[in-house]
Amino acid sequence: MNGTFDFGEAQNTALHYVSLAAAQVQRVPGSAIALRYIKSSYQNDPVRSAVELFLFLFAVRYLLAPTYSTLKSAHVPLTEDEIDELVEDWTPEPLVAAQTTFEEAENEKRPIIVGPTGPKSRLSTGRTVTNLATQNHYNFLSSAVLKDRAISTLRTYGVGPCGPPGFYGTQDVHMKLEADIASHLGTAACIIYAQSFSASSSVIPAFSKRGDIIVADRAVNYAIRKGLQISRSSVRWYNHNDMADLERVLATTVKEQARKPLTRRFIITEGISETCGDILDLPALVALKHRYKFRLIIDECLSYGVLGRTGRGITEHTNVDATNIDMIIGSLSGALCAGGGFCAGSEDIVEHQRLAAPSYTFSAALPAMLATAASETIRLLQEQPDLFVQLRENIKTMRAQLDPRSDWAMCTSAPENPIMLLVFKPEVVESRKLGVQDQEGLLQDVVDECLANNVLITRLKSLPEGPADAWQPQPAVKVCITTGLSKRETEKAGIIIRHAITKVMTRKKAQSA
Amino acid sequence: MYTEPPESLEHISDQAALPNLNSEWVNAKGAWLIHPILILLLKIALSTLPISQETSWTLTNLLYIAGSYLMFHYVRGVPFEFNSGAYDNLNMWEQIDNGDQYTPAKKFLLAVPICLFLVSTHYTHYDLTYFMVNFLATLAVVVPKLPALHRLRFAFFNPDPDDR
Repeated sequence: MNGTFDFGEAQNTALHYVSLAAAQVQRVPGSAIALRYIKSSYQNDPVRSAVELFLFLFAVRYLLAPTYSTLKSAHVPLTEDEIDELVEDWTPEPLVAAQTTFEEAENEKRPIIVGPTGPKSRLSTGRTVTNLATQNHYNFLSSAVLKDRAISTLRTYGVGPCGPPGFYGTQDVHMKLEADIASHLGTAACIIYAQSFSASSSVIPAFSKRGDIIVADRAVNYAIRKGLQISRSSVRWYNHNDMADLERVLATTVKEQARKPLTRRFIITEGISETCGDILDLPALVALKHRYKFRLIIDECLSYGVLGRTGRGITEHTNVDATNIDMIIGSLSGALCAGGGFCAGSEDIVEHQRLAAPSYTFSAALPAMLATAASETIRLLQEQPDLFVQLRENIKTMRAQLDPRSDWAMCTSAPENPIMLLVFKPEVVESRKLGVQDQEGLLQDVVDECLANNVLITRLKSLPEGPADAWQPQPAVKVCITTGLSKRETEKAGIIIRHAITKVMTRKKAQSA
Repeated sequence: MYTEPPESLEHISDQAALPNLNSEWVNAKGAWLIHPILILLLKIALSTLPISQETSWTLTNLLYIAGSYLMFHYVRGVPFEFNSGAYDNLNMWEQIDNGDQYTPAKKFLLAVPICLFLVSTHYTHYDLTYFMVNFLATLAVVVPKLPALHRLRFAFFNPDPDDR
């Protein structure tokens, strides 16, 4: 047999198989009908039949295709030995990073207060110190009236509400407190949160979602930053309390969004800045808000109960109607010495938060004792306006001792802010080339030196941010003024702080010289 | 015409946080049966109108295709609020089975319009005008289902994107 391919033979075999297949098909019941139908569907139109056949074959191909995933999976097949090796080599990352030497030193020297906090607190070392580190601005912690009220509430209502506000946790004291705050501020309604930190971080994602635009001040505090992150909105930053820069950002945003479907737009800032201490220019902000049609969220955690003639906050201080601000977020755990936070706004805004705010729906409600304490302090603030006079006197006294009398430090807080932030003067930072870590170290030394002289102050502590955020607050020392100390005592404490700063700075100079 | 960019890691973890209730039902039991039932009901409803058989079959085809295009390829995102807008830029076809291609649900959903098209050509007695109308409609609903068009957007056929 020669190896050449015989076409005649192949053709005969092929025809033989085709006739076999045709015979098999004809044995299938109903095949005659199907074949007749297909023949009749030709209808003398070859193009159409071709199109239909193509579609049919395409469907068959699609139906027989295997499933595959479009998500990128870097699946590298490994042998058993390689897997064992990798498992042996692997060491888990620690859950908490190891402490730096600075943090360790700080932890060792941390003062522990034994007993109740007050203008004069007792430490675990046995010494009694002047406490200028708590936000006890009106000395409500030592108020006998409040203590009696709290104890009687504790005996009536017990300790906690045992449930979220939406699930049998709301008590009449909560509703009374909400009404009290709303009437005090001048808004339509108010909602209470059990923790002031989670108030800011719950209100923002309740209203702003992915695709919405938020224009935020660069210096906003950590709670607001977390709220912005959770909300997944696009955030645009503007320089701290710089109304011209804010206008630029608003104008750019409006121009960019001109052709696109309308999204929600918010401006978020603080009444009194936690990291810089200065007060917001509210009338200018409200004017901008009306012009560019944004909604305004003001975080009054440090300014409610502090600014204004009766403690209504920045709206009273700058004579702006509170209904101009869409959401006022405040804290009851600072100057009011109670606990929790609130958000005040119109009826719709407050009602929406009752279902949409995460920490209102999923956290337990505020204990009744703290709610009545807050109601009482709001009443006291309205009935005793000389509390404010006294506090501002003390602030002036302390300020007189520190700024501009100190050669090294200056106060960045506004004159009405009872939390004084002392930072190093720019010429000092320049001349000594102090980085952020150096300043933190020096300030910690200042705090320790003051504590050695029986004055307790603290540093501004801010949590670390990711690399994308370029803004860092300037390291500062925090001095919280209180009416619990007399003018003389405040003056004495101010002198001690000033001397401590001088001592630390000159000591450093002697060391480095 | 543009391709949807891949999502950031944060966005992907938002999508993976919860099962996508919007697109999971296509794998459920009655979800496949409802298509022929709907087509039948549509045909019965259209038969009550004083139009010819051919027109009513063509209209059934067109209405089914219009409805399924609107539902699977035009509307984007999820109608309820549970994952803070993680699927805002994907239409339903892309959400099914997390974007996997050639899954059983997708095969079935592609076969239905093709079968309906073949049935409608039979009932319109292979008339050319009806054929062209039906064919173009079927093409409009089959082409977006192809894997090549995954996450591809055309300006006219899709609504504007939500900017991120």
